[in-house]
Amino acid sequence: MQKLGDFKMPNFFNYPPYFTLQPVKDTREKQIQLWKELILDYCRTQKFFIIELEKEFPLFTNPVIERSLSHEARDIFLSALVSDGRAEWMDKGHRKCLILWHRIQDWADLILRFVKDNGLEDSVMTVEEIRSGTESRGTELHGIDRTVLMRALKLLEHKGKLTIFKGTSADDEGVKFSI
Amino acid sequence: MRRRPGIGGLQTAAAARDQYRLLGENVAKLKTDLMKEQLATFRSQLEDFARKHKNDIRKNPAFRSQFHEMCAKVGVDPLASNKGFWAELLGIGDFYYELGVQIVDICLVTRLHNGGLIKLEELCKLLNQRRKSAREAVSEDDCLRAISKLKVLGSGFEVISVGKRKLVRSVPTELNKDHNEILELAQAQGFVTVEEVERRLSWSSGRATDALETLLDEGLAMIDDGHRDGKRQYWFPCVSSISSYVGAETL
Repeated sequence: MQKLGDFKMPNFFNYPPYFTLQPVKDTREKQIQLWKELILDYCRTQKFFIIELEKEFPLFTNPVIERSLSHEARDIFLSALVSDGRAEWMDKGHRKCLILWHRIQDWADLILRFVKDNGLEDSVMTVEEIRSGTESRGTELHGIDRTVLMRALKLLEHKGKLTIFKGTSADDEGVKFSI
Repeated sequence: MRRRPGIGGLQTAAAARDQYRLLGENVAKLKTDLMKEQLATFRSQLEDFARKHKNDIRKNPAFRSQFHEMCAKVGVDPLASNKGFWAELLGIGDFYYELGVQIVDICLVTRLHNGGLIKLEELCKLLNQRRKSAREAVSEDDCLRAISKLKVLGSGFEVISVGKRKLVRSVPTELNKDHNEILELAQAQGFVTVEEVERRLSWSSGRATDALETLLDEGLAMIDDGHRDGKRQYWFPCVSSISSYVGAETL
C-alpha cells in the first residue's frame, strides 16, 4: 500500500484511468466521488487548507504509475467540492481553492467548545493565540488556516458571541469572547 | 390359431388379457420394490456417509466439492430443497443461500467500479474477507454453486468464461464474441489499446473502436490518456483487482 507520510492512499490512486477524466457519465460520477473523498480525507489528516491548482500537490501526481491529473480534472474535482459546500474558490480564475473539511459553521462550533473547555468565556485572546497558542495545542484548531479562522470568528461575531477588535497590525487582531 | 366366433371367444381373449396384465403388474411391483429397497439402502448409506463426514463437508471446501460431485453422479441434489434431510443434516442449504445473499451484495457494491462484471477469483476473495468471522473457508466451487442457485430467481447472475478465467456477471449486459475477445486480451496487462486489438485480433480499426466504445458505455471499461506514448489505453476493472479493492473499502 502506497503511503504519503502517514496517510494511506486508497487503491484507486494506483489505477491509471482514475487520472483521466472519464467520458461516460456514470463512470465519471463515481470517479469524481472517489476524488472528492480523497481530497477531503487527505486535507483533513494532513491539515491542508488551500490547494493551488497550478502548484505541485501530492494528490495530483502519482509518480509510481507516472500519472497526474490534468488542469481540467483538478478544476472539475474541486468544483464538485465547491458545489457540495466543502470548498470555496478564492479567486475568479479558479487558481486557489479553500478546502473546508469542516464547514465554517462546524469550525465556529469547535471554537465555542474550545472556549468553554478552557474557561475563556469572558477572556481576550489574539487570533494568533487561537491558532498556535498553548491552549489550542492538541485540538483541531491548532494550525487552522487564518482565512478559515477569521471566517468562523466573523460568523460568531455576527451571532454576538464575541467581538473582534483590530490591533496595529494583522498579527495582533484580538477577540473578546462574550458567551 | 383360427379365431373362433362368438361370445365365448371374446371372453377367453379378455381373460387372457387380464392374466397378462396381472402378471405384468406383479413383475413391475417386484422390480419397484427392489428399486425402492436399493434406493433406501443407498440413501441410508449416503446419509451415514454424510453424517460421518459432516464436519469435513462443512469445513473443507475441497471435500465439499467432491461430495457434491458424488451426489451429482447419483442424481441427488443436496441443495434441491431446504427442507430435505440434507438441510437438516448438514445445514448445507442455508449455507448456500447465505453465500448467495453475500454474493449479490458484493456484486452490487463493486458494480460502480467494474460495471457489473467481476473475476470469480476476486469475488471469492472478497467473500472470504467478508466472512472471516465464519469458520469455514469458501471455495470458488462454492461460489459457482451459490450463483447457480441465484439463477432460479431470474436475477440475471451468470458465470461467463473469458479465456481461462471465469467472470461473474450481475448486469443484464450481453457480451458478444468481440467483447469477450477484448476482455481476454486485456487479462494480460489489465488494459488494451485500439492498435493492440487490431494487431492481435486482426480486426479493422472500426470494429475495434466500436467494441471498445460499447464496453466504455456499459461501464466495463475506463480510458487512460496519461501514458507517456500518448496512446489511449482502455482499462478493464473487472479483470484487474481494482474492482474489489475500491469496493472492498466500502464493504
